[in-house]
Amino acid sequence: MRPFLLEGGSVSQMPVAEGKSVQQTVELLTRKLEMLGAEKQGTFCVDCETYHTAASTLGSQGQAGKLMYVMHNSEYPLSCFALFENGPCLVADTNFDVLMVKLKGFFQSAKASKIETRGTRYQYCDFLVKVGTVTMGPSARGISVEVEYGPCVVASDCWSLLLEFLQSFLGSHTPGAPTVFGNRHDAVYSPADTMVQYMELFNKIRKQQQVPVAGIR
Amino acid sequence: MADVLSVGVNLEAFAQAISAIQALRSSVSRVFDCLKDGMRNKETLEGREKAFIAHFQDNLHSVNRDLNELERLSNLVGKPSENHPLHNSGLLSLDPVQDKTPLYSQLLQAYKWSNKLQYHAGLASGLLNQQSLKRSANQMGVSAKRRPKAQPTTLVLPPQYVDDVISRIDRMFPEMSIHLSRPNGTSAMLLVTLGKVLKVIVVMRSLFIDRTIVKGYNENVYAEDGKLDIWSKSNYQVFQKVTDHATTALLHYQLPQMPDVVVRSFMTWLRSYIKLFQAPCQRCGKFLQDGLPPTWRDFRTLEAFHDTCRQ
Repeated sequence: MRPFLLEGGSVSQMPVAEGKSVQQTVELLTRKLEMLGAEKQGTFCVDCETYHTAASTLGSQGQAGKLMYVMHNSEYPLSCFALFENGPCLVADTNFDVLMVKLKGFFQSAKASKIETRGTRYQYCDFLVKVGTVTMGPSARGISVEVEYGPCVVASDCWSLLLEFLQSFLGSHTPGAPTVFGNRHDAVYSPADTMVQYMELFNKIRKQQQVPVAGIR
Repeated sequence: MADVLSVGVNLEAFAQAISAIQALRSSVSRVFDCLKDGMRNKETLEGREKAFIAHFQDNLHSVNRDLNELERLSNLVGKPSENHPLHNSGLLSLDPVQDKTPLYSQLLQAYKWSNKLQYHAGLASGLLNQQSLKRSANQMGVSAKRRPKAQPTTLVLPPQYVDDVISRIDRMFPEMSIHLSRPNGTSAMLLVTLGKVLKVIVVMRSLFIDRTIVKGYNENVYAEDGKLDIWSKSNYQVFQKVTDHATTALLHYQLPQMPDVVVRSFMTWLRSYIKLFQAPCQRCGKFLQDGLPPTWRDFRTLEAFHDTCRQ
């Protein structure tokens, strides 16, 4: 398995300049994929919820509370992923959600923090492409593009090949190599690597939202 | 009567033979009638027995006579079908209702067709034998008929020798690991793992490679019973393509006198797939064509090409 995420921002900036909405851009992308010969294969969904470390458990040393992200991916319907930023990624059964309710005293869910991306799955030869609309609350915030090339298990091996594929439907708006596989050169790609990329993408989109808010103040 | 009937006019002999058969049948039935009726009423028991036996004898004599007559006639009738080139099937031409049952003309056509087929097959076999794709030393055809049971010597190598050749090849290529097993008797099966790119199942017969299946590094190569699964193909199009090319390579690398060189050449060729996802096509310079990377590797230069870019 070998997914890659495009930076949602860099993709959505293109249509904004041309005065197009997120929805129109998604349609443009999927039309290009279909022209390429990709076949529709159902839908997908990735969601992410943020948890704070509860104030009562923080020591008096003034250490900052860490953020924990609990994520689900429809590609792995029986799993639940719990990630810390720059930290370990835990892959658990879906029962983990129930456990989080019990751990209320230690981890509190941040209000209105749920962010998710939904869209269509496309298959083109051995490529799996997922174009999704990232939504936070009621509004669409950006577009995520995930490309997975199943036959190759080492991310850095097939990066040039993926880049060529991305250029065929994204044009010049292709991203740089994801940071995930810069540090581990020949490690076998795992589902957790995908989730880390989605977490980074979601965080980036969240920050984009905060910047204009601060400017208004 | 024999003078009248010549062999040429045996239609008359047929008619006579048929009436002779009828006579024979009636005389035989008379024998059984007499047996069925039993002894007739006569004054004395002795008279009864005598009359019955005489009657029975008469009947048997007439059967004998009719049978002799039939045998004599059957010699006159002869065996006309033997002269016909199609033997008994030639009699079909005598059928008067040609329109309803055109069996004879159909038969002739089928015969001509099968003759032609045999002729063309003979020509084709001659041509194919000149450019044989057989990888074993003995040629099929004439020699196979002469000694059908004889095995070419390269097929009866001791397993120990095969093990040695394979382990030497295994040591030659550090990025390639070869696992040898013998799940079904003496024939070896190899599981070749090439880096983190692909896995190849190689089915051997002595030192000849019979079959190869290429699968992804993360694909399951074992069947449910724990043995190597040599039948199912890869789920990925790219590895199905590589499997096809590997089968082509099996036919390309052949040197019946030195099977170990063949295995080594094949493995050297296979090793070039370590850059399957990293090498662009040497002709068009691109990575992808119709969604597939360059899956072909030149047999001599080992350069990467797309299937449609190779010459």
